[in-house]
Amino acid sequence: MTHLLSSVAHRSMTFAADSVSPPNVGYGAMFMLILFIVGSVWIGIIANRSTEKGGFMKGFFLGNRGLGAWALALTATIQSGGTFMGFPSLVYSHGWIVALWIGSYMVVPITGFGILGKRLAQLSRRTGAITVPDLFRTRFHSPTLGVTCTLFILLYLSFMMFAQFKAGALVLKLAWPNSDSMSLSEDAAIVAPVSDPVAAVSTAESKKPAPTEAEKATADAAAKKAEEVANFRYHTGLIVFAVTVVGYTLMGGFLAAVWTDLFQSLLMFLGVAILLAASLYAVGGLEQATMKSLENTGPGFVYGPGYMDDKTSTHEFLPLSLAISFFVVWIWGGVGAPAGLVRLMASQDTRVIRKSIYLLSIYNMGIYLPLIVICVCGRALIPSLKSSDELIPRMAILTTSGLPGGSLVAGLILAAPFGAVMATVSSYLVVLSSGVVRDIYQRFINRDADRDHLRRVAWGTMIGAGIISVLVSWNPVDFLQAFIVFSTSGAAATFLVPALMACYWRRATTKGVFGSMISGALVVLVLYVIGVFNLLPAQGIGTTKGFHPYFLLGLDPLIWGILVSATFGIAGSLLSEPLDEELVSRMFDAQTNTTTGAT
Amino acid sequence: MQIDLVFQTFHNRPRFRSPFKLADMTRKTDPLVHSAIREALLVTGIWLAAATWSLTVCYQMGYHRDVKDLRLVLGFPDWIFWGIVVPWTTCTVASILFGLMFVNDGDLGKDLENTDDLGLGG
Repeated sequence: MTHLLSSVAHRSMTFAADSVSPPNVGYGAMFMLILFIVGSVWIGIIANRSTEKGGFMKGFFLGNRGLGAWALALTATIQSGGTFMGFPSLVYSHGWIVALWIGSYMVVPITGFGILGKRLAQLSRRTGAITVPDLFRTRFHSPTLGVTCTLFILLYLSFMMFAQFKAGALVLKLAWPNSDSMSLSEDAAIVAPVSDPVAAVSTAESKKPAPTEAEKATADAAAKKAEEVANFRYHTGLIVFAVTVVGYTLMGGFLAAVWTDLFQSLLMFLGVAILLAASLYAVGGLEQATMKSLENTGPGFVYGPGYMDDKTSTHEFLPLSLAISFFVVWIWGGVGAPAGLVRLMASQDTRVIRKSIYLLSIYNMGIYLPLIVICVCGRALIPSLKSSDELIPRMAILTTSGLPGGSLVAGLILAAPFGAVMATVSSYLVVLSSGVVRDIYQRFINRDADRDHLRRVAWGTMIGAGIISVLVSWNPVDFLQAFIVFSTSGAAATFLVPALMACYWRRATTKGVFGSMISGALVVLVLYVIGVFNLLPAQGIGTTKGFHPYFLLGLDPLIWGILVSATFGIAGSLLSEPLDEELVSRMFDAQTNTTTGAT
Repeated sequence: MQIDLVFQTFHNRPRFRSPFKLADMTRKTDPLVHSAIREALLVTGIWLAAATWSLTVCYQMGYHRDVKDLRLVLGFPDWIFWGIVVPWTTCTVASILFGLMFVNDGDLGKDLENTDDLGLGG
């Protein structure tokens, strides 16, 4: 074992030394991003032609229910900017335990499509639903329930979208030619200037002698200038990002969002495959990577509950209670996410749903396990990154620099998170806009609006949402991150149980579903407020960075949200009058005389 | 005759209808609802089995162990290999088989263009 460690140590010393000076991004990344932007606009134009067929609402917001297997499989669930940003940082910081943290993704494809997919697709046709609120409104014959859903969705998606705008702007800023920092961390990118060597990585920096007053003044001036440059790049990136993503979503609506999502998913797969091979080659194999990363850190890196940088800390990253929680959170959080529900409603037929299960299974296996391996290699090659969010871009540049066209390969890998962010924003824009147009404007303001009128309202909503997002993200506040985490859990706690009740329980009633939605949302909100504002003593579990909720009995708030939501849903339904049998029959029973409207 | 009457009375007896029934499993329920419930229950079972396997193996083999006991399998720590890599591969195979062989195809029905067709108004 010793010879193994020393051979790896020798190899990786070169890379550790390289990491002292931040790598230069070069023109490859910006070239790939521009290519990606052009590709997305082109997709928007193509999608625009497809949405012209049939009615505007169903075409623009649901792609005429024509989603195929590849589009449904690779876009309906999980990949987002976080896959290339937050997740690698966790592996780098806490080690192999993150494989257990993400382990439930092994069943995400089968649960994501197998639990609600077929029935939701059927129910959306029987109700003629284009949006999630539409579906609840008609299934339970309650406009109030529809409006409640709309308000929840607008609330959750707005917060999530603001943060994604910020992430998109950050990626563009970092891809700026000759930008000398790779950090994707919002803190590192905004608080620490990108050109500031202090924000760079190596511990070697900290070993320099203390600077004199004159050196400090020069450094301060340089830092201030660098911060101005960084801000300029961030704001330019924000505007370019907003114009691009709003522009192509305006043109192509739902289909544009889905097709760009598919495009970025394939890019991600390709990027991960290249990076996996390059990383393993660079470190000399997985065994060496594990042993070297163990040497660079400590026993926690290869064992549970995970490695912590502060060795005196009693904080545990993943105790058993949280490991159990994540096997629930990733699965049921995904099943109940409103953007995912809409995609299931848009699926073409049951064959598409069936194929999506195995396509996504293969895809997930090819993304998540390799990413963990890449990040373990990263800990072996670059032992002391100050901003662990930098890992993937750094690995991309480090491991491909010797390859022909290495800068372009690095650019391709960098384009993946940017594409993921664009696709996420695009899908949120569509859901948000459909909520306003369908569930508010068409229901309550102008029922007889024609195609052009509806299109103008949809465009106005998207442009308005884009402008608000830019304004909010111009000087982003720290609390945004807390809102995103809360919104993700909150949306699942709000919609999961009601969706299951709507699909499978004849006895479910409007009051029951209403109680289920409100109670689930409230429980998650309360536990997040307690955690974020430290209203109860700190618990010493989970990540040490950023905001986290209060883990009641060590379990994630979403579990409590789902339990309470289910209790209220069942009790509320049993204690209230059953729905009209004729309505229930239309939702559940075999149809002998299906209405085939052609308006 | 008397026996017929007894049978008839028995057949027409008032039946207990459990409020916890999912979809009503009567003859008129759409077959797609039946198959969707069956598949959802199987999927939930697969999730529970995967969670139980992974959590048990990882916790038993991978928590609070002495670093001297570290064993690698194909470069993975042994508990990651048996607790994550093996079940992940198994679940991928199971998902492929589930998608190819178990899920029933069915007609999702025609799209209702106007919810007013349901006679609900509003």
